[in-house]
Amino acid sequence: MNKIIFQLLYVFLFITLAGCNSQEGTVNVEENIQESTPVVETLSEYPVSELPEGLVWLTNDEDPIFSDPNARPGGTYREFLDSFPLTLRTAGPDANTGVYSYLLANQLSLIDIHPNTKNYIPSLATHWAYGDDNKTVYFKLDPKARWSDGKLITADDYMFSLDFNRSEYIVAPYRNNYYTNEITSANKYDEYTISVTGGTAKPKDDLLLYYAIGPTPRHFHKLDENWVRDYTWLIEPNSGPYQVSKVEKGKYIEFSRDRSWWGDELKYNKHRYNVDTIRISVIRDLETAYRHFLRAELDTFPITSPNYWYDKTEDDVFKNGYVQKIWFYNELPQPKVGIFLNLDNELFSDPDVRNGFAHSINIQQMIDSVLRGDYERAHSYHIGYGDYSNLNVRAREFDLELADQYFSKAGWGERGPDGFRIKDGKKFSVVLAYSTQLHTDRLVFLREEAKKAGVDLQLNLLDGATSYKNMIEKKHQAAWMGWGASLRPEYWQHFHSDNAHVPQTNNITNTDDPEIDSLIEKYNDSDDVAERSELSRKIQQKIHDIGAFIPTYYVPYIRQAYWRWLKLPEWYGTSLSDLVFDPTGLSIFWIDEEEKLRTLEAMENNESFEPVTIIDETYKVKL
Amino acid sequence: MLNLNISPLTLKTLKRFRSVKRGYWSAIIIFTLIILSLVAEVFVNSRALVVSYEGELYFPTYGAIIPGEKLGLGYQYETNYRDLKEMFKKEDSQNWVLLPPFPYNAFETDLVKGFYPPTAPSFTSRHYLGTDTVGRDIVARLVYGFRIAIFFSLFLLVCNYIVGTTIGCLMGYWGGIFDLLFQRLIEIWSNIPFLYVIMIIASIIVPNFWSLLIVMLMFSWMGMTWYMRTATYKEKEREYVMASRALGAGTARIIFHHIIPNTVSIIITFIPFSVAGGITALTSLDFLGFGLPPPTPSWGELLRQGIENLQSPWIVSSIVTSMVLVLTMVTFIGEAIREAYDPKRHTIYE
Repeated sequence: MNKIIFQLLYVFLFITLAGCNSQEGTVNVEENIQESTPVVETLSEYPVSELPEGLVWLTNDEDPIFSDPNARPGGTYREFLDSFPLTLRTAGPDANTGVYSYLLANQLSLIDIHPNTKNYIPSLATHWAYGDDNKTVYFKLDPKARWSDGKLITADDYMFSLDFNRSEYIVAPYRNNYYTNEITSANKYDEYTISVTGGTAKPKDDLLLYYAIGPTPRHFHKLDENWVRDYTWLIEPNSGPYQVSKVEKGKYIEFSRDRSWWGDELKYNKHRYNVDTIRISVIRDLETAYRHFLRAELDTFPITSPNYWYDKTEDDVFKNGYVQKIWFYNELPQPKVGIFLNLDNELFSDPDVRNGFAHSINIQQMIDSVLRGDYERAHSYHIGYGDYSNLNVRAREFDLELADQYFSKAGWGERGPDGFRIKDGKKFSVVLAYSTQLHTDRLVFLREEAKKAGVDLQLNLLDGATSYKNMIEKKHQAAWMGWGASLRPEYWQHFHSDNAHVPQTNNITNTDDPEIDSLIEKYNDSDDVAERSELSRKIQQKIHDIGAFIPTYYVPYIRQAYWRWLKLPEWYGTSLSDLVFDPTGLSIFWIDEEEKLRTLEAMENNESFEPVTIIDETYKVKL
Repeated sequence: MLNLNISPLTLKTLKRFRSVKRGYWSAIIIFTLIILSLVAEVFVNSRALVVSYEGELYFPTYGAIIPGEKLGLGYQYETNYRDLKEMFKKEDSQNWVLLPPFPYNAFETDLVKGFYPPTAPSFTSRHYLGTDTVGRDIVARLVYGFRIAIFFSLFLLVCNYIVGTTIGCLMGYWGGIFDLLFQRLIEIWSNIPFLYVIMIIASIIVPNFWSLLIVMLMFSWMGMTWYMRTATYKEKEREYVMASRALGAGTARIIFHHIIPNTVSIIITFIPFSVAGGITALTSLDFLGFGLPPPTPSWGELLRQGIENLQSPWIVSSIVTSMVLVLTMVTFIGEAIREAYDPKRHTIYE
């Protein structure tokens, strides 16, 4: 008996001590890489082709810089994530989680886009040239470019990029597909000249957008069936300013600024990436994270949601001016958010029913009340795509009379004892599937308003994966959802009859219309920007006419709260800023250490500053 | 069997129950609340009790809706009686409207221009406990949420006890292989994590009142079996069981007519605690978002809203107060019943 007790005690002690050893989870990055990186024995070599003659090399060093010469380097910037990433790879299973965006931002591409002029600017390539076939782009690489481990970035790393992204070993079907069908080949002309060729002809303007690939360090990756496992926690050498320097699993990840970064000399990188260290802690709950922020344990906090912007910022730290708020409009392409009606559903096969239904949905008042008028009413399918967007399309507004007209035309004119429309003894009832608990408030409001039009709106909250499956298999009647924004409007996957009536495609409205088909085909085949944008606008009008998509709202801005020691340029951000404070993205803010000391002192002495709320509408789209 | 002329033993039990004052009063209050909640539409409702329009009387509370055009408003959907009342007042006509004391239902969003929900309690707007994050009246949400929670828990209790008692008694009465088999089955069944099952089911189908009840029944009938099994084992050895068997009574008759009436104290003592358990279970499921679908009025949903919006304290304080009051009263009743049935006080063995 005693023996057993002793054994138990041992086990208990062991567990306790192991738990106390906090060093265990910390990974010393440099040692870790050296010890466990599989050794690449033979570096891949690629044949050299001959460069065609008559190429016109282009570059751009005339656009103004968008950073601020007053920016000061230094300091630690602290943010949070709601869960620890499952891997530090940027490819393969589970890669698109957590710190993915931070890691990816430090893997530069051949060229970049100027966030204000939207012209192309040099990045890893200094010059570029277009081929005659409208499928190929040539690049002159920057010979100064280096990996974070000091090795030079050469043409072979780009050639290897194709091999890598096509490899089955990385278990990334999307990448495999993209680097096989979208990007069909790459050629090396010398150590610092390459070309990339795509599968379809595109307007010149779009070629760089799609074909400016990034290099992959061929000296680091040993591609075999163990790649996914072996590289899960390894830190890949990158070409950007920040590298992962410290990892404590489950707790935080730290990035450090490389002060001898090769890219510092580039014109458009000057005065950017100012902070020395970025520390991303894991805080699982948003509310808890907010408490941390109010205690100055985090530097910024996203407050786009109206209840944060208005109610939760009634705290003393705001009133005393220690924390400031910024509301910044941008011009980013917007996600396609709205109600998607399934045309294969008996009810919605009738266009009059669709129109009647659209006039029964009170989006505007929902925005004005539940969302406090902060979101913008969306009118068409693609918003924020410049000339590609059709600003003349106006969404169907809540209008009981019009709704009644359409419904009566479709035979739904009569109302039952409960006030809902009836036809042949059947109630007009629509099941609206959605997947975010957060949106319940909005939908509950729409449901109450729809009652006025005699529409019984049944809300069906499903979890994300089930809801997505339900829609993609076209089992829904109506879906409240959104598709992410893309580089250019994409219609084929969402509205072409090729993708209608079959499961596992993105045409969730089952739109099947010969007219829109031919427009989409022309749009996809065209390589002329003007023609393409005109076709795009026509397609948007057509989408409106069909009426299977009811646009709801979009949020063309970002709202953040930040401690006053974070400093911004006078222009706060750029037209493409998806965050005002994004340490690895455009990263034009900086930390004023003296201000920080001053503020902390003031807090101790109960002194206050003038509260600051910035609203910047420079890039607000005026309709 | 139920005797119409109450036996002295039952009388004694009742008297003892009444002597526990807080339990007795709690029982009266809870029963009144349950009965009142059945006709909640009369007290808490957006529909008027009586409308007198151009000499004709309307009673909109129950039945079909009365479209606005019928009462002189220019729309086809249901009349807004609060607006109607204002209108009649302004017109200074013979027409009048009698509204319930709480003139809101549990679904409508009452939005005032310039104010964003949740709005604080106010006598002028007649939102006596304020509104929730969509602008729905909290009193209405509480009342209708109570009705759903208490009846859910009562239905669950009845179903649980029917299944649990039957199986438990059979286990005790038959014993042997049947007993052994069910013991193992229950042990295994109780180890299935109930919450995960609910989460999985809720992600596939939208649970409604009855489907949720069935799922919960599937995972909560086991509790009662153990007690009934033990009690039956004990009772079946008593002479009266032997006597009825000698008279030729079958298993069902013996269990339902003889054993259960003699073990009723066990069942009754557990009831209040099961009711409290049922309410808590439904509330926690709703709190986590796996319970009844929105916009069903629900205490769990209100609790979540309250916790997410601590800057609007009226939400969290009304729901917490209601829950504490109801659950405490149910527990008081349970205590009083246990006291009343305490075998030490009145059981007389031969």
